[in-house]
Amino acid sequence: MASTVASLSTPANFAAADVLPRRKAAVAGRVWFPLAALRGGGFAVRSTGPATPPGISDKVSDSIKKAEETCADENVSGECAAAWDEVEELSAAASHARDKLKENADPLESYCKDKPEAAECRTYDN
Amino acid sequence: MAICSAHTTTSLYSPCTTTVSHSSGFRQKQVIFFTSSSRRSGGGRRHGGARTFHVSCSVDKPVVIGLAADSGCGKSTFMRRLTSVFGGAAEPPKGGNPDSNTLISDTTTVICLDDYHSLDRNGRKEKGVTALDPRANNFDLMYEQVKAIKEGQAVEKPIYNHVTGLLDPPELITPPKIFVIEGLHPMFDERVRDLLDFSIYLDISDEVKFAWKIQRDMAERGHSLESIKASIEARKPDFDAYIDPQKQYADAVIEVLPTQLIPDDNEGKVLRVKLIMKEGVKHFDPVYLFDEGSSITWVPCGRKLTCSYPGIKFAYGPDTYFGNEVSVLEMDGQFDRLDELIYVESHLSNLSTKFYGEVTQQMLKHADFPGSNNGTGLFQTMIGLKIRDLYEQIVAERAGAPAEAAKV
Repeated sequence: MASTVASLSTPANFAAADVLPRRKAAVAGRVWFPLAALRGGGFAVRSTGPATPPGISDKVSDSIKKAEETCADENVSGECAAAWDEVEELSAAASHARDKLKENADPLESYCKDKPEAAECRTYDN
Repeated sequence: MAICSAHTTTSLYSPCTTTVSHSSGFRQKQVIFFTSSSRRSGGGRRHGGARTFHVSCSVDKPVVIGLAADSGCGKSTFMRRLTSVFGGAAEPPKGGNPDSNTLISDTTTVICLDDYHSLDRNGRKEKGVTALDPRANNFDLMYEQVKAIKEGQAVEKPIYNHVTGLLDPPELITPPKIFVIEGLHPMFDERVRDLLDFSIYLDISDEVKFAWKIQRDMAERGHSLESIKASIEARKPDFDAYIDPQKQYADAVIEVLPTQLIPDDNEGKVLRVKLIMKEGVKHFDPVYLFDEGSSITWVPCGRKLTCSYPGIKFAYGPDTYFGNEVSVLEMDGQFDRLDELIYVESHLSNLSTKFYGEVTQQMLKHADFPGSNNGTGLFQTMIGLKIRDLYEQIVAERAGAPAEAAKV
């Protein structure tokens, strides 16, 4: 299943990550990626939320595979960009789906968000 | 003979404004409740004298706001903050397509411009174009429908389904009080741009975009740092060509950068955020720090207020942005405690709040949203208040009354 606990703060996970040499930052039109980020230098990923619905999760992983295949030969074509754009679109959809699940996870929470003064929503210090 | 016009208090919460012209010089405040017909004549006959009675619902003519940003750059969070400032929770249309991208609250309707894709996912794949490419979008339809809504007409808007990648049957959109169009291209087409009463661009630096997408996607099966990096790089040429240039047209730009408080920081956790506010925009009076028009650097942490590491630093001053005069407010660092936020709010002016502490209250209400402890949340909330103010000024102006914007 998708979205199991992934702690980016564990450096071991990304020790083998492809690290861009710093001088590439000077190349026009290239995205500069922080070196520490690629080494896993301390990003904290909150992974306590619900898992992505399997339907979308499968689409995301399929789209990544397809994008990697499409871009294998040459990665400047429109097809390659379109393939990675599809990955972005599906990743965003997956994230929205997780947010929706989180919002609807507890009906009392969502009710109390609108009516914090209702008797069943009040909290007392003592 | 005196002519006076009475009007209801223009607020987001009153459904309609009424303008009564009559000859008796009588001043009155009225709220008209009506069901189907939008006009009631003779509503106040007992006052005597000839009168015309116009009920102009603000529902008739929405104020139109544009929000531009790349995918995964915080548009949804911004929309949640914005609709919260306007009052009431924004929900997807009830009983409609569960994959609808629209959000509706009492006052506001937010539509996603992806719904105007002319090419669905397969079409884009065949032609080798991304969704960022104007060729994948139907700007004629976008213009026609936004214009119709602005004129008070309902439209049947297509729905782009982000899960299937197909265009679903359309949904009915009726004119709200505030109509927000959010997406990749709200300011791309000149005709659409001209319909906007206010526009915002979220400008996320490459470093921060990468950090945010890692947070969003790393837990997703199939994703890796390489795939996240490849996706950003592959989309970048089209982003630079079609999305980024829109920021020159925005009335407000929220720029998100890595912090300068921690030397060589590239964790992307602490942020430096700039709010660039265009000068001379009708109904929009920029927020300022201490002294309007001066250049100021302010570190609020010291003897009176102690802050947690790495502290907070503000800057404010005039500047130019794409040849336009702007005011820039900058916040580096993050709030760790409530008293830090209140202290900062009390030193900002022109916030368009209705009571002291409203910014803080809004921030606390949504403490669970991303960015609630830094400049992204603060500036998004401030822009929300500015849009509320802008709306109230426009409605007051339409009602023929001088705008009395509540300012704290």
